[in-house]
Amino acid sequence: MAFIKLNDLEIEVEDGTNIVEAAREHDIEVPHYCYHPGLSRPANCRMCLVEPYGPIPGAPPGTIGPARQLATGCTLTVRSAPPERKLEEKFDAIIRTDSDRVIKAREDILEFLLVHHPLDCPVCDQAGECDLQDFSYRHGHDKSRYLEVKNVPPKKDLGPDVLLYSTRCIVCTRCIRFCDEVSGSGELGLINRGSHDEIDIPRSHEGTPIQLLDNKLAGNVVDICPVGALISKDFLFKSRPWFMEKANSICTGCSVGCNVTVEYKTDGLYRIKPRFHGDINQHWMCDDGRLGYHYVNSDDRLQLPQKRVEEELVTTQWADALTLISDNLSEVEADDIVVIGSAQGTNEDNYVLQQFAHDVLKTTQLGLFGQVPGEEHKFPQFTIEADKNPNTAGARTILGSANGNVVLEDDALWEKVAGAKVVYLVSGCPERPLKDTEKDALEKVEFLIVQDVLPSEVTQLADVVLPGTTFAEKDGTFTNSSGWVQRIRKAIDPPGEAQADWEITQQLAKRLGGEIDYHFAGEIAIAIAENVEGYGDATHQNIGDAGIKLT
Amino acid sequence: MVQEKRILYEHLDVPNINTFDVFRQHDGYTRFEKAIAEYQPEEIADMVKEAGLKGRGGAGFSTGEKWSFVPRDIEPRYLCCNADESEPGTFSNRYVLEKNPHLLIEGILICCYAMGIETTYIYIRGEFTLGKKMLDAAIKEAYEQGYLGENVRDTGLNINIYSHPGAGAYICGEETGLIESLEGKRGQPRNKPPFPAVQGVFMKPTVVQNVETLCNLPFIVGNGVEWYTQMGPTYGDARFDPPKADPNTGTKLYCISGDVNEPGVYELELGLTCTELIEVAGGLRGEEVKAVIPGGSSAPILTQYELDTRLDFTSLTLAKSMLGSGGIIVMNETRNIVDCLLNIMKFYAHESCGQCTPCRWGTPWVRDIVQRIADGEGRQTTITRPKFGITESGRWGDTGETEEIYEDLDLLENVANNIANVDTMTWNTICVFGIAVSWPAVSYMRKFRPEFEAAIRESKLVTLPVAEATVPPEENYAYQQRIIPKEMVDLE
Repeated sequence: MAFIKLNDLEIEVEDGTNIVEAAREHDIEVPHYCYHPGLSRPANCRMCLVEPYGPIPGAPPGTIGPARQLATGCTLTVRSAPPERKLEEKFDAIIRTDSDRVIKAREDILEFLLVHHPLDCPVCDQAGECDLQDFSYRHGHDKSRYLEVKNVPPKKDLGPDVLLYSTRCIVCTRCIRFCDEVSGSGELGLINRGSHDEIDIPRSHEGTPIQLLDNKLAGNVVDICPVGALISKDFLFKSRPWFMEKANSICTGCSVGCNVTVEYKTDGLYRIKPRFHGDINQHWMCDDGRLGYHYVNSDDRLQLPQKRVEEELVTTQWADALTLISDNLSEVEADDIVVIGSAQGTNEDNYVLQQFAHDVLKTTQLGLFGQVPGEEHKFPQFTIEADKNPNTAGARTILGSANGNVVLEDDALWEKVAGAKVVYLVSGCPERPLKDTEKDALEKVEFLIVQDVLPSEVTQLADVVLPGTTFAEKDGTFTNSSGWVQRIRKAIDPPGEAQADWEITQQLAKRLGGEIDYHFAGEIAIAIAENVEGYGDATHQNIGDAGIKLT
Repeated sequence: MVQEKRILYEHLDVPNINTFDVFRQHDGYTRFEKAIAEYQPEEIADMVKEAGLKGRGGAGFSTGEKWSFVPRDIEPRYLCCNADESEPGTFSNRYVLEKNPHLLIEGILICCYAMGIETTYIYIRGEFTLGKKMLDAAIKEAYEQGYLGENVRDTGLNINIYSHPGAGAYICGEETGLIESLEGKRGQPRNKPPFPAVQGVFMKPTVVQNVETLCNLPFIVGNGVEWYTQMGPTYGDARFDPPKADPNTGTKLYCISGDVNEPGVYELELGLTCTELIEVAGGLRGEEVKAVIPGGSSAPILTQYELDTRLDFTSLTLAKSMLGSGGIIVMNETRNIVDCLLNIMKFYAHESCGQCTPCRWGTPWVRDIVQRIADGEGRQTTITRPKFGITESGRWGDTGETEEIYEDLDLLENVANNIANVDTMTWNTICVFGIAVSWPAVSYMRKFRPEFEAAIRESKLVTLPVAEATVPPEENYAYQQRIIPKEMVDLE
């Protein structure tokens, strides 16, 4: 640990911490653009200048004063020094971030940053969450002394989801370093020189792109752009950032379990941005997850239960649907019922489902349903996993947690389904194509109950369809492939009369005389903590925003 | 009359000196052989330090000291020869490369032996096509003669030289920009520390030396330290207590251009004054000296009042200028300083690498302001302040004192100082390009302010007579910083 004096604070920081981070920990703002904690540090924006103190050359020993040159806070790291090199006999470093020189340097740099920056904040997507706006307001001048003509480099289409407004670019090179270091694909680079610097993709002499910015992590460059230069086409002109509310959640795109922030208004989700987690996704997420939220806002969402009348699915009331199901369920033997949980569902959904199967239906035949595995993508600092479900690990453990429960998957499951009379299938998967074997098996079932969010091939075969909810509409926890249990939070209300999956299961249980009675997801998590091995600490309170790792 | 003292250029005019045989006849490679036979590597490094050799590329940093920063326990180490001579007004290295490339190779061999280096890269300016051709031929010959390659002359040393052409960027003459370019990246300087001596080419310890510096090594080894230190003045630097010896030993290849009768490269002992130098170059072309740029276009300008400044590292530093690369440009009374500054600023705005904010957007801004003044569109305001006194009509009242405010000159000075502050010698940029921009901008403007004011007032470029155009020493801040008499102690 290094003991440093930062302004008037005397603080201890880890060896090797840079001043920007050390100051951030103590709520001192050191403005910066090019520095990003997840990338290398070129120190090219010169915004984070701080004033280090040290011995003055030529002065009597022990005299300490400000260094001749200011240093960049992002590259200036502190380390514990040997006793003879301590300043004022106890500090490893003395740094000021509030001296007159520092304040003037910030003003000067901001003035330079703004000479070519257009005044298009009113139509810029970034306005409201723009570092240039914020720092100009807090550290900059109130007027410009620049009279000359501004550079107007062209607007560019870089790839499937990324637009570049070159005029707004401050050439911090975060995006270039991201493509070099994190995605390893290196599509972006600087063209031209000096004040004509432009970010661009490789192009032929005629200007046609040779390589588009189309890697699976490309969306991150929009997040890390400190100004409104890189813009997501998906979010372009949709909403002002300050009109949206935010909920911390987990990405459901694959089993990595990236921490995300869901931004929403009452009419649906607007975008998903990654949230830092040091052990899982760092600062990043993939575009599949980022752009995969659109099904939540879909107009086709199931809003009411449906039942099959003369080969057609027609909407009905909850009471009617539940009665129909309970009638059918009570007629068959326990061995002829298969209950299938979802790897898209939360631990809570699956816990109530397995309780329903084990305690009420007295069946031990459980299955696990989820998305079809996709491709694995490995990047230098990021992995997209093949398993496209957020909670495979959790669902598997929780469904099999009660005595004698067997969790069937894949071929074994579909064999079992083919011989069953009643199947209760919780899907929750958007766009899940069915393989022939799966389709054949489901067609043989006498009475198929499907709980889903969108009409799909599965609901086409169902006798009763119950409207469930997506990750954005319920509370709960997911367990990722590396054993982290993490919270998702309800952001928006479910469409129509759709209900959280565990609520539907609980109502069914009550109809059949079961004694399952939970009031909110946190209560189920406590039950999980008590009853499921390994989940002892996994209550919602303990998990918080950081998640906990199963031992 | 001062005579030329040719050491590096001694055999420059010998026909075919670029071939191994002729070079050999003129003591070629004997100094290297002497180094190997008589000295240990550390001894040579000590000799260079004692000789007080300073880097001739621009910064004037002590070569021996630079070598002492190189960690000798990290392998491999590299030598990088900076032949990217791109400072406007400088053209001394190209003659070495074109006419006597073997001298450079011998210097490299001595440096490699002293530092235990096996690989040398010569980063040669892209425009030096002839220089590259001659150098490559010389390297080939040296390989054939066994002075390069595996087991050099049965001494067990392995020394290889690779020449690498640049692509014409000024900033690749900056040592870390050069290294980046050499590694195949965009030529943009690195943040320091770490310095190249610790992490240079391919992140290994690297000695970066100018061609002229390396060419001095054979003579230091061949003729001894004592012979070398007799040339040039040694001052005591009074900023240290006791005064530290600040040697300015050896000769310098002064590239004299501009308004002199015989422009060219002159090899002279360090420590001559501007006046003497103009004399050596055939005298002034024109009536009187208006200004002298002492060390390449980035050096602050000297006026007619400063012509007695000695052209060595210490004296020019104390005169708030620099010897730099030794590119001296003389201007006579016909030159317009605003136009000169515009020329230089156009160059720097074009050559800014664009890596860091102040330089990327500050440099073109400075150019634009100077352009505006040169175009006659500079801004000026007349302010009338109420001041009571006896008016023209003989009564007591408001005399209406007016003051001319030249906004664009204040803006120019302010913007340039925001890139790099010339008064405190601090810069917010990554490399010293920032100060290379603001030094000329601020010094031209301060020392020749009347000419700038005239351009704004008359809305066109006006060339004033020298005496009118120059700000006298007592009025100028820059002159006040000249503290030579107080700080320089004659050690003898």
